[in-house]
Amino acid sequence: MNYIIHLIIMIAIYLILTLGLNLVVGFGGLLSICQAVFYGIGAYATTLLMMKVGVGFMAAVLLSVLITGIFALAIGIPALKFRGDPFVLVTLGFQAIVFTILYNWVELTRGPYGIPGIPRPSIAGYEVTELPEYLILTSLFAGVIIIFLVIIYRSPFGLALKALRDDEMAAEGLGKPPFYLFLGAFVISGMVASVAGSLYATYVTYIDPTSFTLDESIFLLVILLVGGTGNLKGPVVGTVFLILLPEALRFLGLPDTIAPNVRQILYGLIIVAFMFLRPRGIAGEFKLR
Amino acid sequence: MVGLKIKNLSKTLLGMEIIRKVTATFLPGRITALVGPNGAGKTTIFNLICGYLTPDNGAVFYDDEDITGLQPYQVARKGIGRLFQDVRIFEGMTVLENVVTACMPYASESPLFPFMRPLRLSRLYKHARERSCYWLEFVGLYAKKDYPASELSFGQQKLLAIARLLSKGFRVMLLDEPASGLSPIATKKVMATLERIVSEDRDKTIVVVEHNMKVVTEMADWVYFMNEGQVAFFGRTDHVLGAREVREMYLGF
Repeated sequence: MNYIIHLIIMIAIYLILTLGLNLVVGFGGLLSICQAVFYGIGAYATTLLMMKVGVGFMAAVLLSVLITGIFALAIGIPALKFRGDPFVLVTLGFQAIVFTILYNWVELTRGPYGIPGIPRPSIAGYEVTELPEYLILTSLFAGVIIIFLVIIYRSPFGLALKALRDDEMAAEGLGKPPFYLFLGAFVISGMVASVAGSLYATYVTYIDPTSFTLDESIFLLVILLVGGTGNLKGPVVGTVFLILLPEALRFLGLPDTIAPNVRQILYGLIIVAFMFLRPRGIAGEFKLR
Repeated sequence: MVGLKIKNLSKTLLGMEIIRKVTATFLPGRITALVGPNGAGKTTIFNLICGYLTPDNGAVFYDDEDITGLQPYQVARKGIGRLFQDVRIFEGMTVLENVVTACMPYASESPLFPFMRPLRLSRLYKHARERSCYWLEFVGLYAKKDYPASELSFGQQKLLAIARLLSKGFRVMLLDEPASGLSPIATKKVMATLERIVSEDRDKTIVVVEHNMKVVTEMADWVYFMNEGQVAFFGRTDHVLGAREVREMYLGF
């Protein structure tokens, strides 16, 4: 039972990440591969605020959102001077920079040793310690953020992003400012990822930089590729599918010596197969270019 | 002076002088045509006016305001709209969404707007949908309003782009080959629409780049004939198109 609850909590955390990223990738049509940066900054900011400054959980979450927002702004401004492949490369660059800082600024982050013993969230004097309690907390956060994002998806802002994605020149000719709208999407997506980071850090109670690598950013993109983008369904389907897929592959009954490798290969093959069979993902509206 | 005016515009691209000191005035209540051989610089003029290109020299004035060097979205917000030669519809949306997107007010596009003014937003959407349906009906695409825009034929996509432009209520419309790819009936309809717009609202300025001489003759009041990046002739349509040099240079007889 605990195993299932754990999986649901992870699905909720990843839903926040992918639905946020969907705004940039699915609506804006910009392939950003630095989402794990914002996830990581959120996790570290919350951890440090709680452990070193001694602020409460809710305040730490909100402050982390602001801090991550500033980082997203600082990364977005130079990155959004570019489109297409150069944009992908610039976000890749920032992913590498932030990871290196998290890994090497030992005084602040303890680098590769990570930070253990992160306090459990406590809200209005009530400490969340048990797994089911944590499930409720994560679900509430995910619920609020999903509602927030769905309102944004359906807003004129979301529509304008889609217009820019489909044809930037034409959208601009109708008075949509590409730079500001894309920057808005980028910052919102970063701030949302920060909340996922806060939840993750206080759930696992241990963080180290390896949770926020390029692999993680790519994994989030793969979820969107497989599930589909540009709507609510796609990322939800993708998240559930790709979080559960490795778990399902455990039950194949493979001999222990080869199991991890075979699982990895099967996992890769399934993703490749998807690109052939469903280029828009399982439930997507928009084909990534 | 009201209207759109370009003064001494020059532009060099890849070492080629595409536009050489072009001066022209486009007045409200009129349809002005830019004609000339391929490569004469007609579309480049549109790109310079709309901010997709920055002129090397010269200036663009709109109602006496210098709008040279503004970003394309800023030019659009001044009330200058553009129909692209290659149509450029939003393929990931439905036909209706294409038009609704165009006619939502700029202020509603802030990400915070739906949270601050939820009721106003639903009213704006309702209004935008009604207006979009009106213009879709007008160009004859209402029956297809829920189709994915990518499924329309080229001619229908052009009509959709025109509906998008009309619904926005631009005061100046720069139309790059509005009639190419349209059936004779659709062409007639578009021409009639543009003529009606200008006659009903003397405030509207329409500039067309068009190769279909029938369209130009029937619709345009004034013509700028361009050749090799310069204005070669300017005047009333019948005068310019009747000139011997123009016939030899462009029409081939």
